Amino acid sequence: MKVKRKWIPYTMLLPAFMLVCIFKIYPVISSLMDGFTSHGHFSLEVYKSLLKDATFWNSLWVTIKFNLICIPLQICIAFILAMFANAKVKGIGIFRTIYYLPYAVSLTVATMIWSLMFNYNSGVLNSLLMKLGFSAQGFLNDSKQALFCIIIIATWKGCGYWMMFILAGLKNIDGEIYEAARIDGAGFFHTVFKITLPLLKKVLLFVCVANTSSNVLLFAPMQLITNGGPKNSTDVLMYEAYKSAFKYADRSRSAAIVSVLLAMIILVATLQFFLLGEREEKPKRKRKGR
Amino acid sequence: MGRKKKKTLCSIWLYLALLLLAVCTLFPLFWAISSSLRSDTEIYTYAMPFTLQTLFPVELTWDSYKQLFTEFHFMRSILNTLIVVIVLIPCGCLINSIAALPFALFDFKFKNTIFAIFMVSFMIPFESIAIPLYNLVNQLGWVDTKTALIVPALANGLTLFLFRQFFSDIPTSLIEAARVDGASWATVFFQVIMPSSLPVFITAGLMLFVTQWNAYMWPLLVGRSESSRTIMITLATLKMENQTLWSCLYAGSVLSAFIPIALFLPLQRYFVEGVTSSGVKG
Repeated sequence: MKVKRKWIPYTMLLPAFMLVCIFKIYPVISSLMDGFTSHGHFSLEVYKSLLKDATFWNSLWVTIKFNLICIPLQICIAFILAMFANAKVKGIGIFRTIYYLPYAVSLTVATMIWSLMFNYNSGVLNSLLMKLGFSAQGFLNDSKQALFCIIIIATWKGCGYWMMFILAGLKNIDGEIYEAARIDGAGFFHTVFKITLPLLKKVLLFVCVANTSSNVLLFAPMQLITNGGPKNSTDVLMYEAYKSAFKYADRSRSAAIVSVLLAMIILVATLQFFLLGEREEKPKRKRKGR
Repeated sequence: MGRKKKKTLCSIWLYLALLLLAVCTLFPLFWAISSSLRSDTEIYTYAMPFTLQTLFPVELTWDSYKQLFTEFHFMRSILNTLIVVIVLIPCGCLINSIAALPFALFDFKFKNTIFAIFMVSFMIPFESIAIPLYNLVNQLGWVDTKTALIVPALANGLTLFLFRQFFSDIPTSLIEAARVDGASWATVFFQVIMPSSLPVFITAGLMLFVTQWNAYMWPLLVGRSESSRTIMITLATLKMENQTLWSCLYAGSVLSAFIPIALFLPLQRYFVEGVTSSGVKG
């Protein structure tokens, strides 16, 4: 549509644009600059000392481990949930609502509830395990298990949300395709891998990227219950950045760590684009244009 | 006959699977509610070995909720959070929807560049800018005020994106007709566009609500004093300072989860539709 007075669109944009520039874009630039500043002028000193820092390497490893398990796990579970929630049976709406209920629960609350359930002495999970004949587990006190406990918390809270996107994608797929596949005698797994997943590419890409950025920066459970321990086994980079800034008052180090994290997110997101996006161009565009 | 039998068997398995998943999802919530209704001693006494009494309270009591409100000033934090949310939602919806309008309707210079800036702002995770943002807010003198919780959250790339998607579907003839009749842009926005976009306003409002209600890191940085503490921060403080007051912790968790869930259930239809269309339509 044409406007007579050219300034009209800009006036409408202005408030939001100003706010974004001040509270989003400026901090990003400032954060990047901070990482390259030491004692008031430009230097690579911060990054150099970071590379020599054993804590940093440990945190980097913990972050990578956490995400390598957490992201595929969440997406798989979300996909399975979506497949189930897409079943056409009576009362499926109730189940669907139940599955994404945890999204409305905050991570803080989820962390608190689960941390009490994980408690060694009087947590319900240990008492359940013992009832079933297993021995009590250390959970959050065990440096081998603590990270997995946090993965469970994040997965419980997150999956329902990602399920919604995949479910919407599933609903966009034409039912006739399945019918045709069934007539051709395709089995269940064949249908899933050869028809459903390829058609879900765009949605999966979105979920992957969004999920990556939310998980890479996750640190509330660590800050609330483990403090990075036991034995630094849950000391993810974001928590390290948080500590640098607010416990040790070292802005440059924290900015440098955050830049490393952002670089990681961008790297992984690009990778996912290449892996999932390449064959997107050709067919199946039918439903998009609106 | 055989086929029908197979079908019933199949749906029984399906229901079992659905039920199992539902139990996994609901158990922590159920557990929190059940534990919040008992006393601390009761929780510890029946914790082990595992029996029915581990799951269900023997003696129902509201004491933990009472304690939460009398000793830990929970009402204060609920009010704080509500004030923030009540200011944020209408303002945020208005600012973002007005800014989304030109992207959906007009052609103008730098349209794509400006839109890209908005999109970048939504892809950059909040946690990564929290620290420089804190310094900025500190210079403005907003630390420990509600302004610090509201203003930076107003412009939101995702909400803007959502509005743009929706506005693109509004027929331009409708707007042009109103313009020809001599309506100003303000009238067009409030009387033509807004009434026909109710679902997207609900979705955007809910999204702003959930983000704000569940926000943890930012309120932790800028709202530490009791006068501006939000629910999440009060809960976290409670958790860190009173490790042993389990029933109180559970009661706080239940209360803070209850409000968003109560809002979600009636409005979920719009929400699911709106959120997913932003990811699926792309």
